[in-house]
Amino acid sequence: MKRRALLFFPALSGLAGCLRGGRRRLNVFHWSNYIAPETLPRFESETGIQVRLATYESNEEMLARVLSGNSGWDVVFPSNYFIRPMRELGLLERLDRARLARLGDLEPRFQQPSWDPRLEFCVPLHWGSSGILANPRLAPVPQRYADLWELRYARRITMLDDPAEVYGAALKKLRLPLNAHAPAELREAHREALRQKPLLRAYLNAEARDLMAAGELAACQTWATTAQQAISAAPHLRFVHPEEGFALYADCGVVLRESKRKELAHVFLDYLLRADVAAEVASATCTATAVRTARARLPEEVLAMETLFPPGETLERGEWFEPLPPESQRLRDRLWTELKSS
Amino acid sequence: MTTRLRLAALMPAAALMIATVGVPFVVLAAYAFQSRGAYGGVMPPWTLENWQRLADPLYLGILLRSLLAAALSTALCLVMAFPLALAITRAGRWKNLLLALVMLPFWTSLLIRTYAWMFLLRDTGLINALLLRAGLIREPLPLLYNWGAVVLGLVYAHLPFMVLPLYAALERQEPHLLEAAADLGARHWQAFWRITLPLAAPGIRAGILLVFIPCLGAYLIPDLLGGGKTILAGTLIQNQFTASRDWPFGAAVSLALMAAVLALLWLETRRREEPLL
Repeated sequence: MKRRALLFFPALSGLAGCLRGGRRRLNVFHWSNYIAPETLPRFESETGIQVRLATYESNEEMLARVLSGNSGWDVVFPSNYFIRPMRELGLLERLDRARLARLGDLEPRFQQPSWDPRLEFCVPLHWGSSGILANPRLAPVPQRYADLWELRYARRITMLDDPAEVYGAALKKLRLPLNAHAPAELREAHREALRQKPLLRAYLNAEARDLMAAGELAACQTWATTAQQAISAAPHLRFVHPEEGFALYADCGVVLRESKRKELAHVFLDYLLRADVAAEVASATCTATAVRTARARLPEEVLAMETLFPPGETLERGEWFEPLPPESQRLRDRLWTELKSS
Repeated sequence: MTTRLRLAALMPAAALMIATVGVPFVVLAAYAFQSRGAYGGVMPPWTLENWQRLADPLYLGILLRSLLAAALSTALCLVMAFPLALAITRAGRWKNLLLALVMLPFWTSLLIRTYAWMFLLRDTGLINALLLRAGLIREPLPLLYNWGAVVLGLVYAHLPFMVLPLYAALERQEPHLLEAAADLGARHWQAFWRITLPLAAPGIRAGILLVFIPCLGAYLIPDLLGGGKTILAGTLIQNQFTASRDWPFGAAVSLALMAAVLALLWLETRRREEPLL
């Protein structure tokens, strides 16, 4: 799943770090937008541990790097639906909860998440959702995913360039579960997506933000974080969590089994759970934090962003992405290639 | 002694080629005959399944479409570059300046130049804004996110690779040949058709190769300017190694693409019975 932007940065700088001795060093491989400018310098001055940071843009990119088991990284941040696969691949180290004193500061629903009920392997840190960003000046605001199949939006909408999201929206339109993966259900979702394609301007990820802000699109499927960035630039835009339901995901810190600096890795994860640090990251990057104690420290205008922090009754419609069984994954990939080349 | 010295001087380049081309090629070939891991990577058993999948009309269609897009872009490059290269060889003291201008785009990254095209082609981009302002159109033209934009991007990015070999070939031509042709009664177009063009053939062939092959594997430009609504071979391969997590099939597609290019090259050299380039 490709998220955020298109550039990616070589990870070699992180590896060079292991070779030099002397100072204590930690190699962190992170999403490109989850660190505030002050986050790392403060950690380094407080602990004396130097952090080598490199960033990735998609879970797959990260997994491809760490799959070998000797990548040199200590801490990475997979999304929730990547935890089980990475666990089954034997890539994750069991967390030492005694070293993570602040785990109790997480919001209750992240204390026992479905993908790791006892938080044995991961620390949920950020979460987000996907939905519809709309421009009320150009067209009525869609309330349901089904509205994105209507002719009046023709050529003025985009969907995410991501099979899980596009088929997820089609499944929700069909009133099926987000993670439905029976071949018949996937094929039905595929037929819906095929019907929708002629109405779409394009399949876009981060680029949709600028097109929305410039008034070129009436609506787009996008991530809440991206939507919030667009809204900050163009306050008349509206974000809608679709009536039929929508996708939720969480990005979680994990310690790799290959790490030779597991203690330092725990120190870093506990630091990210600190209320002031989590609040700082959340307001600097427009993402929702999973740390309960951080919410009190968030500026009011950030807390008021319903895009990032939807009210409880809205949240109930959300469904967490789950890993797809290999057979369904393969079918969905094929259908996606068919959809794209139709 | 000199032979040994020559061999020693070749070693750095040979080592680089083996490390960056030879080894990855062997790895790719080994991948292409194995099975996909559930979450990426490759696993035994050895299999031919990835190759059988290539015969699927879906993937053959993508390959064919990539060949067509690359051929069209190459043809457009040739048509645009030939007069340009000819003009530069006859530009006298402006020659070096013009050549520098042809190479100027290489000073910025392709990604940034492609984004620049997106800003030009958008609904609110420069081209549409000017046309709207001038009253020539009422609605913005759909310039971005279609095949036209993809071919435009490919031609734009690869034009210098056509101009430079053509220039090199045309520059070497003896001007007296054209004078002699004129003395013998040839018209301008006859001289062009029977002297300039045949003598430029090595440059044309080199230019075609330098443009066609990268166009065939291009993935950045089709992805950005096509808006994800099209799949070409480059995008297909990239998807297999990322979102689809099917490395063996991705390896098979890349090898098939390489084989297609090599087959074209081989046919070309055999037909002419002379070395390539």
